[in-house]
Amino acid sequence: MSMTDQTTTAPSARKKIDPNLVRKRARMIISHGLVLLLVFIMVMPLIYMVMMSFKTATEISQDPLGLPGSLYLDNYIRALSSMGYVRSVINSLGITISVIVLVVLIGSLAAYPLARIESRTSRIIVMIMALGLATPNFVTITPIYVIFRDLGLLDTYLGIVLAFTALKLPLAVFFYTGFIAALPREMEEAARLDGCSNLQIFWYVIRPLLTPVTATLALFVMLMVWNDFTYPLLLLTDKDKFTVMIAVYRFVGATGIDPTMLFPAAVLGSLPLLALFIVFQRRIVGGATAGAVK
Amino acid sequence: MRAKNSLYLFTVPALIVLAVFFVYPIYLTFDMSLTNFKGIGEAKDVGWRNYERIFTRSRYVDAVKITLIYTVLVVVLQNISALFFAAILHRMPLIRNFSRAALYTPAMMSFVVIGYVWQFLYSPINGGINVALRDLGLESFALNWLGDPNLALFAVAFVQIWMFTGFTAAIYLAGFAGLPSELEEAAILEGASSWQRFRYIEIPLLRPSITVAVMLTTIGTLRTFELPFILTRGGPDGATRVLSIEIIDNLFGQYKFGFASALSIVMLVLVLTVAFIQNKVLRDAEKVT
Repeated sequence: MSMTDQTTTAPSARKKIDPNLVRKRARMIISHGLVLLLVFIMVMPLIYMVMMSFKTATEISQDPLGLPGSLYLDNYIRALSSMGYVRSVINSLGITISVIVLVVLIGSLAAYPLARIESRTSRIIVMIMALGLATPNFVTITPIYVIFRDLGLLDTYLGIVLAFTALKLPLAVFFYTGFIAALPREMEEAARLDGCSNLQIFWYVIRPLLTPVTATLALFVMLMVWNDFTYPLLLLTDKDKFTVMIAVYRFVGATGIDPTMLFPAAVLGSLPLLALFIVFQRRIVGGATAGAVK
Repeated sequence: MRAKNSLYLFTVPALIVLAVFFVYPIYLTFDMSLTNFKGIGEAKDVGWRNYERIFTRSRYVDAVKITLIYTVLVVVLQNISALFFAAILHRMPLIRNFSRAALYTPAMMSFVVIGYVWQFLYSPINGGINVALRDLGLESFALNWLGDPNLALFAVAFVQIWMFTGFTAAIYLAGFAGLPSELEEAAILEGASSWQRFRYIEIPLLRPSITVAVMLTTIGTLRTFELPFILTRGGPDGATRVLSIEIIDNLFGQYKFGFASALSIVMLVLVLTVAFIQNKVLRDAEKVT
């Protein structure tokens, strides 16, 4: 990707200033400024959220749009002490890691034959995966609730981990299949001649090459576990097992949408992911669009 | 050959997960939809009566209508605004990456956070929007956004469009990056205006990206639940009661598992039909140009 702009390739050696060039430059600065202003307006609600979280109750009611008078932290202290934040972060992390391990293992394993064998069997399995990708979770939520209840999986970590794993597995299979199909086959064939079993080939030859896909998938799973609302809302009722967003949802709901609690809770809920996004911005945006274009 | 067939064993764990979480539940949903199952006890067979009820009571027909109106609104406006931002940022490499990340940020956040923040922004007295409107002297535009049945659906749709414009714009930007640069350079040399390049070169070449973006938005929006649930709970007066809210209401509010299942099947048929038609229409449009 080239970072040069056609309009800036001006011969700098010229002494006399070309009025045309000045006009062009001015137009460029103004248009860029306008677009940046537009982008700023788009992120305003998020800036508003952060600003509000530092305001006292009087500031919120008397000067709803103004900047906070000082870095007032009491809202955060009160929210932190009563929303079970730390516990919910630990829950979300534990669930995330479990789901990543399962999705990566099961997904990459299934993708290997699908990428290497072209047959009707492969096509049928890919179709089943596509069905999983296209089915809205509201179509399956009633039976999953009933099955979980009958198996005693409601309100358990195991249940929510399995539900999330199923939700992201089809995507993982597609990601890995595309990636493995593009890998050269020579190493596998050499390993097979040396007498390696399929499982050994997968584990020692294929698996070490999958890191880029695994990293993208791990980010996706993290985003989903952190943000998904429907499954934990319906499958978890024990406060000690809440994920971050359900903790935020229940907490803000219980305060009757009190702004001095709502905004710090919203910021706390978003903070870990925003940090992740700032670090991995390119991979997240790139991964999302690559997945979409396929 | 034997080695090849035994390789399929690797797909067994994935197929078990798919069977338990998709294939069997879809079958079970259909099965339950023909009963009056209440979550516990015996389920009595009621034939197609649940479906009859859905299509004869205006409440459920309205839920389907609201879901469709909401989807059309979001899909059309979100794709237009995303295409607008992508086309502009494509022409401004200096601020492209920064703006793309900034616009994408809301899509990264949770519906819970976005829903609550906007609920407060929309609140009639000291919500950010009405305060700003009054400060600008536009008192008469300071409305009861989520409380007025004529406005609520649009207010909720606006939040969804705002939230995912950056996501869709990122898809379009990837499409723009794949355009042949010679063609654009030639057009610039020929004196084509920015709009002409957009209309006659970029739009036709972006057809595949448009197909993908429109279909993704549509499938995602037809199943929409979180924003109407958090912002309005389906109210006021049922104005934002989309199909998914109706399902959850019947399931966990009234324990009508059989009826909720019938609604789920209606949603599945709706999603598959729309996806099928859209795929056909959009792919045909790709071929024409």
